Amino acid sequence: MVKDWAASVNRIFRTIGGSKRVDKVPFLAFAGEQMICRVTGKTVKELYSSPKIYANAIISTFEFLDADSINVPSAYAGPIEALAFAEANNKLDAIKWFDYKPLMCKQGIICKTEEDIDNLEIPDHGKINIWKTSLQAAKMINEKIHFPQVISLSIWSVVQELRGIEAYKDMRRNPDLLLKLCEKVYESQMDVYENWLEIVGMPPNVFIAGYSFNRHMMSFQDAMRYEGQFIKRMMNKIKVPFMLHNCGISPYFTEVVKEIDFIAVNGSHPLDIEYWIDFKKQHPKIVIIGANIDVSREMLTGTPSDVEEKVKENILSLAPGGRYICCPVCSLPWGVPIPNILAIPRAIEKYGHYPIKID
Amino acid sequence: MTEEESLEKLKRAIIKGDPQKAILLANESIKMGIQAKEILNRAILKGAEEAGKLYEEGEYFLPDLLMTGDAINAATEILKSSFDQKSGIESKGIILIGTVEGDIHDLGKSLVVSLLKGQGFDVVDLGSDVPPEEFLRKAKEINPKLIGLSGLMTMSISKMIETVNLLKSENIQSRIIIGGGIMSKESCEMVGADDFAKDGWEGVKKINNLI
Repeated sequence: MVKDWAASVNRIFRTIGGSKRVDKVPFLAFAGEQMICRVTGKTVKELYSSPKIYANAIISTFEFLDADSINVPSAYAGPIEALAFAEANNKLDAIKWFDYKPLMCKQGIICKTEEDIDNLEIPDHGKINIWKTSLQAAKMINEKIHFPQVISLSIWSVVQELRGIEAYKDMRRNPDLLLKLCEKVYESQMDVYENWLEIVGMPPNVFIAGYSFNRHMMSFQDAMRYEGQFIKRMMNKIKVPFMLHNCGISPYFTEVVKEIDFIAVNGSHPLDIEYWIDFKKQHPKIVIIGANIDVSREMLTGTPSDVEEKVKENILSLAPGGRYICCPVCSLPWGVPIPNILAIPRAIEKYGHYPIKID
Repeated sequence: MTEEESLEKLKRAIIKGDPQKAILLANESIKMGIQAKEILNRAILKGAEEAGKLYEEGEYFLPDLLMTGDAINAATEILKSSFDQKSGIESKGIILIGTVEGDIHDLGKSLVVSLLKGQGFDVVDLGSDVPPEEFLRKAKEINPKLIGLSGLMTMSISKMIETVNLLKSENIQSRIIIGGGIMSKESCEMVGADDFAKDGWEGVKKINNLI
């Protein structure tokens, strides 16, 4: 059966916008390069070899997973942004490639010293091959299936790639130096946005990978200082609704939504559904993406029935009233059995049609 | 300044995470004739304990613990270089640690390494992206009391399973702990490890219990 992407677009974006005209709970999947390689049999370098190959591989993967979402996994402020900095600063030795998963940056190599930060060159994303391919692929997806592509930006995720563990020590011994690095990362993220505008067009939303908003990493005050203030500046420039992702184990969701006007939150913790039920009560206008379908537990080691039960629990707890998008916590890893992933859209079909039947 | 005051000042420098001050005060304590074991137990380890307590109470965060770790290491280096073998500082054992292959995150691991060294363990850090064969080779060479496998990503669990299977198939008897934000009782059982820790501080406490 041909995938009805127009229905998925309506489902996702109407849910995000708080519309009541939604047929069923949308399914958002974080399928990274690893999953795309697994579904298509291509290596990462083959995926990145041309925008057309990449876009088609992404479309077939998300269609195979029967997801209502689709995105270009490399086009975010993670390893590919670190690669952009590595290229711009002649530090490609910090990058390690893999055949069937995204490249990685050895943290703390690119900005090892104070001088490295002072002299750090901001990448010109229009000249970095993988970014060009990723942005062109996003454009092709827009054109081919008319699914507006959401841009993903971040500060702390990139800072950590560049400076590594020293960034955390800088918070106490040299905060000005750290802020200088954050400023440069902000500038680079704005360059990503400018290139996105030029090639892909205006994004419907910004998805912030806000890794600092996690108690295990830093205090909330530090998270606001080293990431939050920059997100606020992004919001002043990019006039579309922002969503927040944090896959840490102690996220500051309740604190951060009081400070920054996010339209949606997506996290991998807490795994206690009561936290999310309470969050929805406290913040009925904020969309919850996710809840507690765990990729390292029931999805990895359980059966499709286990996954179905979890999806049912999530839907019955969070979907009534709308503004809920079903999504496993974080990226789908290599070892998750495909039947367990496909159990999600099947369970949504069973329990997720509006109005939700609690019984 | 009395012996007590000197040790108290050093303890404060450890809690505050001030490596420069910790070096100065460790040197001062040595000049006053305080035994290395006393400096270690009454100032350095006491300071580490109090910093850990502040972390558990939510007063301290990862950056504070990392700075405490730096101060501990700076002070213990001074002790090691100033006393001979009979100083009373004995190794609590060898620990082999590393982030598993395919994972380059090392934040929690670095904290564990830093604090364990300060507590008197000999820590061999293999770094990140470490293949199972490298864990095995080093384990055979140094016979550690405990092996710590670190990993942040879900996909790291399968590499931990591979590593533990290899170590056990070669009859390595060391205790094994896995660490990372996504670790759980289920993943610990799946990997076949003796215990798990979700963050660096928890890792330090559990390693002390395991040994």
